[in-house]
Amino acid sequence: MGSDDLWYKDAIFYELPVKAYSDANGDGIGDFSGLTGRLDHLQDLGVDCIWVLPMYPSPFRDDGYDISDYYGIHPSYGSLDDFRAFLDTAHARGLKVLTELVVNHTSDAHPWFVEARNNPDSPRRDWYVWSDTDDRYHGVRIIFSDTERSNWAWDPVSKAHYWHRFFSHQPDLNYDNPAVREEMWNIMRFWLELGVDGFRVDAVPYLIEREGTSCENLPETHEVLKFLRRRLDEHFPGRVLLAEANMWPEDVQPYFAEGDEFHMAFHFPIMPRMFMALRLEDRKPLEEIFERTPAIPDSCQWALFLRNHDELTLEMVTNVERDYMYEQYARDPVARINLGIRHRLAPLLEGDRRRIELMNGLLMSLPGTPVLYYGDEIGMGDNIYLGDRNGVRTPMQWTGGWNAGFSTADPERLYQPLIQNPVYGYQAVNVESQRRQENSLLNWMKRLIRGRKSTRVFSRGGIEFLRPANHRVLAYVRALDHEKVLVVNNLSSTAQAVELDLRALAGAIPIEMFGRSLFPRINESPYVLTLGPYDFFWFRLRWL
Amino acid sequence: MSPPSILSDDLLRQLMAVGQVDIMVGVPTLNNAATVGAVVQAAHFAFGNHFARERTVLINSDGGSSDGTPDIVREASRVESETVLAAHSLRTRHRISAPYHGVPGKGTALRTLFAAADLLQARAVAILDPEITSITPDGVFALLGPVLRDGVDFVSPAYARHPLDGPLVSQLVRPLFRAAYGRRLHEPMAADLGCSGTFAASCLEEAVWESDFARYGIDLWLSCAAVAGGFRMAEAALGPRTLGPRVARPGLQELFPQVVGSLFSCLEMHEAFWAGRTGSEAVPLLGEAPAVAGPAPPVERASLIEAFRTGVTDLGPLLEQVLSPETLEALHALSRAEGVITYPDRLWVATVMEFAAAHYRGVMHRQHLLQALVPLYLGRLAAFHARAEEVGVDATERALEALGESFEEAKPHLLGLWNKEGGR
Repeated sequence: MGSDDLWYKDAIFYELPVKAYSDANGDGIGDFSGLTGRLDHLQDLGVDCIWVLPMYPSPFRDDGYDISDYYGIHPSYGSLDDFRAFLDTAHARGLKVLTELVVNHTSDAHPWFVEARNNPDSPRRDWYVWSDTDDRYHGVRIIFSDTERSNWAWDPVSKAHYWHRFFSHQPDLNYDNPAVREEMWNIMRFWLELGVDGFRVDAVPYLIEREGTSCENLPETHEVLKFLRRRLDEHFPGRVLLAEANMWPEDVQPYFAEGDEFHMAFHFPIMPRMFMALRLEDRKPLEEIFERTPAIPDSCQWALFLRNHDELTLEMVTNVERDYMYEQYARDPVARINLGIRHRLAPLLEGDRRRIELMNGLLMSLPGTPVLYYGDEIGMGDNIYLGDRNGVRTPMQWTGGWNAGFSTADPERLYQPLIQNPVYGYQAVNVESQRRQENSLLNWMKRLIRGRKSTRVFSRGGIEFLRPANHRVLAYVRALDHEKVLVVNNLSSTAQAVELDLRALAGAIPIEMFGRSLFPRINESPYVLTLGPYDFFWFRLRWL
Repeated sequence: MSPPSILSDDLLRQLMAVGQVDIMVGVPTLNNAATVGAVVQAAHFAFGNHFARERTVLINSDGGSSDGTPDIVREASRVESETVLAAHSLRTRHRISAPYHGVPGKGTALRTLFAAADLLQARAVAILDPEITSITPDGVFALLGPVLRDGVDFVSPAYARHPLDGPLVSQLVRPLFRAAYGRRLHEPMAADLGCSGTFAASCLEEAVWESDFARYGIDLWLSCAAVAGGFRMAEAALGPRTLGPRVARPGLQELFPQVVGSLFSCLEMHEAFWAGRTGSEAVPLLGEAPAVAGPAPPVERASLIEAFRTGVTDLGPLLEQVLSPETLEALHALSRAEGVITYPDRLWVATVMEFAAAHYRGVMHRQHLLQALVPLYLGRLAAFHARAEEVGVDATERALEALGESFEEAKPHLLGLWNKEGGR
């Protein structure tokens, strides 16, 4: 694999739902033409790769993760030509594009399932998992336990039960059937030939079922994924697969396999621990999770994020930690959903610019590829009263004008209301006004991303934690070959002094990366730094 | 020139790293390698089990141990691998082991710990005796919980003990403390305690740290200061108390003057507080009332009686300066009695109070005075043991309560002697 094939390690990812980004045709719903018109913003921000949330035809009973046609574009978002134009424009600007690949299930409105349930003799019948009884795979956990009672649903049409790990309107595909694997590859090939640069693969642990198991992470599931990866490498080298598996890092590691399964996987447990460390003013949660994170093949990369389109998931924390997180970040019970918190980044951090900066500083300097969520670059707010997780999927706020510059439609026609409160409303928080202010969050984010991309230490280097006595300070050295960067973060709301044992770096001159200020040369003595509340330093270390 | 700091630069540097805390557990040590590990682990697990969210620190203030005590403290704190998930603390658990500066003794160790608590703005502080190996994580919680939860300033332990265990406390310290200070504490001179940061800071301001109190009577002084300072108090039931093995403990001849002298000196220090008070009130007990535990400690009754008789005879001229003629005559009569002696409560109360007043009035060198009380105490001990043997445990408990009441009733006698003209 060539160095350029590892582009995903150096990239800044940006996640967006098409419907929320920009509406070009004035129907109140974002579309690909609108998105294409906003690529300036992404390029200016420093984004390298756009991850587009599901854009396929769908009944939208699960925000597009219930696909009824894998080869099309949802009419609300435009046409295949519109998508192609978006892709070409993005590529012309050096931006890569990842799309969603929902491999585990389809919508029950998908023609495959319609055919399967209507005709038991159809070859499509075996594309899904059927049973005469609902007692097979007994004991397998129910993921959406708030709404589902069983992983089996009764189909009155064919008078049989079908297997579903998510909503009952999302029947699982049967990957024991080679035809399903081939079809999934055909779908991938279709989009890859159009030019997409890879897929974020949804819900990967659940592809295969076996009696007497948890039906998760089975070896046969890995075989399916390796099959798809093999085909990808054979036909489209340089394209990537990003796994969604909300599990402990040691359980995700097998999805990297020997570098022949996924290129990337989200590191879910880091995210809540970043928030926890900040509120506790203690680096312990972060150090612990990194100690628990196993090594992965050189060609692979973790994907890190602060927030995404789902709730801030608290599945990968202990009960004590979850209670603490709820108490600190979701005092209003409405903010709690499933096992998580449905807030955006800025409201979670009470709009505190210093904390927002520190968290983004951590995101950009810890090992992994950062994935930004649309709107967080300007500190957008949310509306937890919109139901489900819709509150973090409101229209992007481009300007302080009509519909925040998102759409020319009547406001009542927007797919969802804009954020309008005085603190986070579009009149106060929007791209246009922040672009004009030198010290806006948007412009600060641009500088941060430039800093991150000024060296490959952050994207490809190793990490060594320094563990100073002051637990409020998280310090680490990122190193790649002879290049070294010292990162020092004050997790505390008060000024802190810290003594760092930097004897191993004696002789180096620390140069602060944003202001290029010189700091005293490191020697054998403890290196004393003082940091203001939530301050952080990135020092490039030079031996001159 | 500024006075020397009680905190070394090294300790200060470590405290800077710890920063503000909610809870501080202090363990003063001097050659406690055999027992300190269990105590530190109890604190360690208390942090995980009961204070997962709180900012915590354990500080060992060591008097220069030569048996590796500080190393054992450090090792005992590193048991993360044994920590079950439920005992997982969200935060960094800090441990500091640092030698203290100044006059050797527990007072200096405590002063260092209180100064650390003050600097760290600890809301709750527990001081754990390195020799009391029966302390449990729940016990540590019992000492700290009332401070954090209920705003209590001083938490004294209540142990489940046999009524004949700790006779110096039960025969003298507890009832005199009760009568003078008006609060009924099971253990007025306990080495384990919990307190608020406010109380610790207040103690730092008192001029006791350079005195003999600091060396010998600091535990007792803390209880007295808590009452005299009007601090909110509680008792925590900690169950049976077990002391680990120790190379050498001071004998009675050494211990008695230290303890009793400290109590008498406390009375002197807090005269303005206690002189006008009558009666006593119980301190709220948190947890189950302490039950009787353990066997009665053995005593050589014959040798106690012999020591009593010899003392009364040999120390006659000295006792004449301290005791009233009535008391002295009664003691002489006792010493002449054959066999088992009977040392009634009223006589014992009078003896103690007349010694306390004489101590205050400075009728002789205080050390001599305190030594003169030792044989009388031994006589009382022998008599009480003999009676306890006859009546059993429950009646002995009641007898101790009656003794406390007798001390209370005789408080006017003490005041009369205290305020008597002449002498002081």
